Amino acid sequence: MTKYEATIGIEVHVEVKSKSKFFSQAENRYGKSANSSCTVVDLGYPGTLPTVNSEVIQQGIRAAHLLHCSITKKMHFDRKNYFYPDNPKNYQITQNRTPIGTNGYVEIELNSVKKPIYIEEIHLEEDTCKSAHKGRFSLLDFNRAGVPLIEIVSKPCMHTQEEAVLYLEKLRETLFYGDISDCKIEEGSMRCDANVSIAKEGSNHLGTKCEIKNIGSIRNVGIAIQKEIERQTALLEKGETFQEQTRRFDDKLGDTVLMRVKETGNDYRYFPEPDIPFVILTEEQIKKAIETLPMGSDERRKLYLERGIHPKNVEKLLSNRTLSDYLNTYQDSDLDFVIASNLLLGDISSYLNRNFMELNDTKLTKEKFSDLISKISKGELSNQNAKDILEDVLEKELSVDEIMKERNIQNITDSSFVEKLISKVIMENEESVSDYHQGKDRAIKYLMGQVMKEAKGSINPKVANEKLIEMLNRK
Amino acid sequence: MSKYIDLSILEIHALYKEKKLTPTMLLDEVFERIEKEKDLNCFITICKEEAYSDAKRLEQEEVRGLLWGIPIAIKDNIVTKNIRTTCASKMLEHFLPIYDATVIEKIKKEGLLIVGKMNMDEFAMGSTSETSYFGPPKNPWNLSFITGGSSGGSAACVAARITPLALGSDTGGSIRQPASYTGIVGMKPTYGRVSRYGLIAFASSLDQIGPMTRTVYENALLLNVIAGHDEKDLTSSTEPVEDFTAFIGKDVQHLKIGIPSYLVSDVVSDEVRCVFENVVSLLKENGNTVELVDISYLEQAVSLYQVIAMGEASSNLARFDGIRYGYRTDNANSVDELYEKTRSEGFGEEVKRRIMVGSSLLSSSKAKIYYDKALSIRDDMRSSFLQAFEKYDLLIAPTTTTKAYSLGQGLDDPLKSFMDDVLVIPANMAGLPALNLPAGFHEQLPIGIQIIGAPFKEATMYQLASFLEEKLALDLEGGVHHDEI
Repeated sequence: MTKYEATIGIEVHVEVKSKSKFFSQAENRYGKSANSSCTVVDLGYPGTLPTVNSEVIQQGIRAAHLLHCSITKKMHFDRKNYFYPDNPKNYQITQNRTPIGTNGYVEIELNSVKKPIYIEEIHLEEDTCKSAHKGRFSLLDFNRAGVPLIEIVSKPCMHTQEEAVLYLEKLRETLFYGDISDCKIEEGSMRCDANVSIAKEGSNHLGTKCEIKNIGSIRNVGIAIQKEIERQTALLEKGETFQEQTRRFDDKLGDTVLMRVKETGNDYRYFPEPDIPFVILTEEQIKKAIETLPMGSDERRKLYLERGIHPKNVEKLLSNRTLSDYLNTYQDSDLDFVIASNLLLGDISSYLNRNFMELNDTKLTKEKFSDLISKISKGELSNQNAKDILEDVLEKELSVDEIMKERNIQNITDSSFVEKLISKVIMENEESVSDYHQGKDRAIKYLMGQVMKEAKGSINPKVANEKLIEMLNRK
Repeated sequence: MSKYIDLSILEIHALYKEKKLTPTMLLDEVFERIEKEKDLNCFITICKEEAYSDAKRLEQEEVRGLLWGIPIAIKDNIVTKNIRTTCASKMLEHFLPIYDATVIEKIKKEGLLIVGKMNMDEFAMGSTSETSYFGPPKNPWNLSFITGGSSGGSAACVAARITPLALGSDTGGSIRQPASYTGIVGMKPTYGRVSRYGLIAFASSLDQIGPMTRTVYENALLLNVIAGHDEKDLTSSTEPVEDFTAFIGKDVQHLKIGIPSYLVSDVVSDEVRCVFENVVSLLKENGNTVELVDISYLEQAVSLYQVIAMGEASSNLARFDGIRYGYRTDNANSVDELYEKTRSEGFGEEVKRRIMVGSSLLSSSKAKIYYDKALSIRDDMRSSFLQAFEKYDLLIAPTTTTKAYSLGQGLDDPLKSFMDDVLVIPANMAGLPALNLPAGFHEQLPIGIQIIGAPFKEATMYQLASFLEEKLALDLEGGVHHDEI
């Protein structure tokens, strides 16, 4: 049987985070009521002209840097001309000839092997408006018109759906942690189109390309690619040929369906946008854009592993940006990141989820958190105690010490308190004490259990165990 | 009846200050003239109510600058809030803008009174104003002759002394050519001198708004008001705005003046050559050097212009699709049909012709052969001009190849109107300021000459223009018919 190899290229659009839109002063925010965030410029009103939002240029520089692209220092914009109701000017301002970044890559790890996925180019452009169809009518929401986008075009260098999925996940994480975009596929702030072709293994020319448009999740990109590979393979096996086409992924079918067969060469009549002069990026501007980037995902990974966090928890932290950001505020302190991350990912997260809250909504101050973690780490507070007082810590405007006092929780390193407890246990369990002295191993376990029971878990077992042995041997 | 409207702006201003005249009184005269001169067909929209209400408001305040209370006519491709702006097209016949162009904001702030929106070639595409959906404006010097175009309505209005001031726009001579045909002063400023925000774009890299006036001084006054950097227009220049009247009245001697040879070649008719040569002698007699100079690619200027202007226009006019504003066809069953019918029915023949040619010029394989190449030759032409300005203070040339011709004569030949503009197009291609000054007559029709300056040298151009204006001392009131009734 002939073996086939798939070649996959992916185009990703992400909406860029910025205060205002790319070419107008309108606010760039998702979820506002329809047509409440647009100006005459976004409406493509006669006589209006675009201005360039420098924040978007800065984001472009950052994205290019994060994706290891060469940055184009002298660039211009181009008009892509096509008629469509969601395209207010019937041309889109984009970058055709001078994309802001070229020749980049992101690194993925597949079966513990690192592999770069190459990026052809990234360019800046404006989004179209959003259309909805109601019966005979089409409705247009111009809030999205003019929202800045970055389009990232990979080289056709992937061969399996796993690689594609890993590429997209890595891309999303990188742009998300770079504060370039929310990368929320469900809100449309990240959109993926995949190009798939297959050819006989070892053949040096590519097969007929099919494009799968606007797939609703990264997981579905994987499924869509797999289905497409299967579909094309089956056709080739039967000796059939097919035309270049555009397909879409149908969620319910879990398969791709034909949208249209590509007509010969879409002619977008690109030409340099005459309303926007060349944009020249200075070294200073580039430096500033890069310097002000927040800590990236790979850097965070490195930091957390260095501070001893279990790889599983590292990934959990990376999938929760708020917690990761919070933890990072202690980067320069000697806070125990293992304990801190356990608490954040465990009890604190479940508290927040249970109460539909964010960390900011609680009474947890920076001092309180570091006090709490350091008490646990020094053994002054047992895990059980920490669990018990957590709600108070998050809800009350009291210090950890004050809460411990209020809850009558003793300082468990206070040896007189521990001794008192142990004395009591020894007195009440003469039989076990004598068993211990006769060398019965089980006795110590029992006694220890009694100590912990008496202490209601409020003492450090290690400390208590040492003390118990010491006191038993005193007799 | 005393004719205040024919007084100079300085005189009107003095009367305003002495409280002997009010803006309302002046408007009475303007609207009376508009009525009398209906046959000129130079207005598309008359803003009587708005103008009087603005005048009343002005009368509550103190007299301000020299242009306070002065009536002005606006070419109908400059958007005016709540005043219909049609571009002389069926496409925008009922279009009511929701914002003011930057130049409109500026003239309103200065206290000028907008009295109407002026006829023009549809979307400024044409050289005779005959492509207007509202019928052609007529030349006040002879009603069976064209005004020129595309700012023909603005030109006729000022030539007929209906208003002292008008705004036009110039993409390939659209201010200067009609100014020459109607005997008024028309300035196309340096590209970037005046904000284009709110000018309905024809060819973005060439369009420029400019003043059309009775005299050089009044032209400079109006440019003072409309010039300046605008954050809303990235192509507007940050070059400081000087007082453009600064050198007016100063003697002109020892100027080095160049004449681009191609612009006085055999493309120019004898009638025009005669007027132009008279100016050259006058300059020489007064101690200035006048020499021929070669500028590269001038003979290609019209072809280059067509490629760039039509390419850009095809994209700029794409937004008129019947979806958000303007004309929409009644019977469409699909989006494609909506586009096709709306645009077929809404645009006139010349506009459609240019959109089609422009679209074809930009289509994939051709863009590199035509548009890219045109841009690069344009750069070379500009360099050649700049080189000439290292040697010469100013350049002069005829504005038009002939005097105005009769209505209907140019319509059969789409290329004729472009060839008419062969002398004015180079300044647009090079982004240079250029001004038309009335310089003589032939068979009772005015003929103008053109002064071309280095970038941002408008003040020097005005100096030379006012000098010539005084020396030539033409009687330009011949365009005024209103007293003959």
